[in-house]
Amino acid sequence: MWGALLRRGVRGTGGLRCQSSGGPPWSQVVSEAEKIVGYPTSFMSLRCLLSDELSNIAMQVRKLVGTKHPLLDTARGFVYDSRNNLQMRGLVILLISKAAGPSTTEISFQHDMVSGIYSSQRSLAEITELIHTAFLVHRGIVNIGELKSCDGPLKDMQFGNKMAVLSGDFLLANACTSLAQLQNTKVVELISSAIGDLVQGIYYENSKSSEENCLTDDIGISRWKEQVFLSHSALLAKSCQAAMELAKHSAEIQDMAFQYGKHMSMSHKLHSDLQPFVKESSSDATAFSLNSAPAILHQEFLGREAWLKQIREAQGKGNIMDYKKLQEAIKAGKGVTSAIDLCRCHGNRALAALERFPPSEARDALANIVYAMSRFP
Amino acid sequence: MCHFTQRSSTSLFPKICNIFWRFHHTSTSHLCSCSKTISDEKYQDPFQLGRKDLKNLYEDIKKELLVSAAELKEMCDYYFDGKGKAFRPMIVVLMARACNIHHNNSKEVHASQRSVAIIAEMIHTASLVHDDVIDDANSRRGKRTLNQIWGERKAVLAGDFILSAASVALARIGNTTIISVLTQVIEDLVRGEFLQLGSKENENERFAHYLEKTFKKTASLIANSCKAVSILGCPDPKVHEIAYQYGKNVGIAFQLIDDVLDFTSCANRLGKPTAADLKLGLATGPVLFACRQFPEMNAMIMRRFSKPGDVERARKYVLQSDGVQQTTYLAQRYCHAATREIRKLRPSPEREALVHLTEMVLMRDK
Repeated sequence: MWGALLRRGVRGTGGLRCQSSGGPPWSQVVSEAEKIVGYPTSFMSLRCLLSDELSNIAMQVRKLVGTKHPLLDTARGFVYDSRNNLQMRGLVILLISKAAGPSTTEISFQHDMVSGIYSSQRSLAEITELIHTAFLVHRGIVNIGELKSCDGPLKDMQFGNKMAVLSGDFLLANACTSLAQLQNTKVVELISSAIGDLVQGIYYENSKSSEENCLTDDIGISRWKEQVFLSHSALLAKSCQAAMELAKHSAEIQDMAFQYGKHMSMSHKLHSDLQPFVKESSSDATAFSLNSAPAILHQEFLGREAWLKQIREAQGKGNIMDYKKLQEAIKAGKGVTSAIDLCRCHGNRALAALERFPPSEARDALANIVYAMSRFP
Repeated sequence: MCHFTQRSSTSLFPKICNIFWRFHHTSTSHLCSCSKTISDEKYQDPFQLGRKDLKNLYEDIKKELLVSAAELKEMCDYYFDGKGKAFRPMIVVLMARACNIHHNNSKEVHASQRSVAIIAEMIHTASLVHDDVIDDANSRRGKRTLNQIWGERKAVLAGDFILSAASVALARIGNTTIISVLTQVIEDLVRGEFLQLGSKENENERFAHYLEKTFKKTASLIANSCKAVSILGCPDPKVHEIAYQYGKNVGIAFQLIDDVLDFTSCANRLGKPTAADLKLGLATGPVLFACRQFPEMNAMIMRRFSKPGDVERARKYVLQSDGVQQTTYLAQRYCHAATREIRKLRPSPEREALVHLTEMVLMRDK
């Protein structure tokens, strides 16, 4: 229904409308989009899930139940969280593939299309999800040397690490194999470099997290953007570009696809960083990262000294952070509104990139994803 | 009685080896008619011959590792300090030269072939970094491991980064066949690691399992990088098969000797602790052979040497048995097969160096 409504809107203005109050809710955007690409998006291939290796891991991971290893949460996420966000990347790649349409130069392999998407592009979508998942798993490695007695037996944590390294590597190796099968050296190079970007982005995340809750990094918003591009945007941006390359689209279309992937995922990250600050239920404040966009922007407006003072005040006695108090401090400043502006700004740049694609259902769905990111209560 | 069991078990053994032998080897006909003449030719020092091609190898690898964060860069560069044996790149460049000469008497190494040598070393190192996290290892090549210094979280990322950089370099060669051949290695490495998790009840299966693991974890990298440079140097598929078979056989022999050294070498010579495999619960060649003579080791193998005293007792049994000799003998046979393969190529100093290299694999003590 929403799709139809929006399509009419799009036709009326002759282009994508600029976002104001926001579009339909996220779940609806996704289910509409899934219909457009032909089948529901489960990207973890059957081949992978049914493999001996993964069932071996599943068996072993059961031994971790009752321990505190983060791999358990990651594994639970695969089962319970799959409707959320988890497979968004694959969906976007299919949508942008469909929005770009068949290539005009190579008519030879058009029989290979299902629902307007090449099979190579479908496998690229799967590869991207595999890579993303592999790093969810590798993000959950623990440092053995930093464990405290409350983390439980050392042996459990070592075993959890072993499983996490192995299962992440297994997913990555599968991604590499599928990537090689695409028989396109430019795509292999793009996606491999995206893996490198992702590693660097996670490295920055990691180097912060150890002291995250006592002090913030002294980085400005431009540095923040660079790091978030690596950790949250590069994989999707380069995958979108690679999807265009697989259909032999022009360099210009490839760049537009890259821009859409980049700005949409920046907008997505800003959106999720903003959630603790815009949620209506303000009864109890949840912990939030002091390196999230609103906090970084708040620091920029306030100056580092004043911001550190606010943190010290919120910390109070016993070094327990009063997030409620800190949140109020941030809300009182300009950090939240300018993060919302930044979120919409990236959203608009994503929409601008879409303008270069011919109007279609798939393009509308991509626009709807951006609108959903820009919804704030 | 005891004597009898010993006899019967040792005589059984060659039979089992033979089964694997046939399983692993299909000989191809000689391509070169003049292979008889070189038997007396003076051996070349392989490391001397390949050295000029490997000049600046580690510098070039470090250039591939483009990282902006200083600490991550330091971690990625850590093992490329020029102190490694560069065993894999050496085989790869010698194979490249041998194939190029075989094809059209070309005395050059193509840039793409040298890239394969670099990529092979990078893939190898990335897998070492992850292995050390998996095994919770403290030292390697006489240095502390990455996970010891920087913690497991960052060490895993460094390994991932090295692999991604290897992948980028691989793509830049611009040949989809080469990409497929070397990607197979990445898959084999992981599958080999999985094989290492499990153990088999049945003795014969256990041996097959061990050899398969050995192929995937060690030999696949050497076999497939040899194959890759042969493809880049010579269009004849028979030559690709020779290169692959040579690499596979040398690779398996290399690992068998590695497994022997884990029992016979002392810790500071090896750069890592000895009996490390037993401590990890792994039953390698020498243990599997020893188990024939000392069936009481079966239970230890199945519980992965987890009871106190298991490691020491298993070590003693191995040294009392002929496990070390048998494993060395098996390695010799793999080396002979490798030599037979490489001799099918047209004679060249590089070919002889590859022959000589198989002997060095057997003789090495660290």
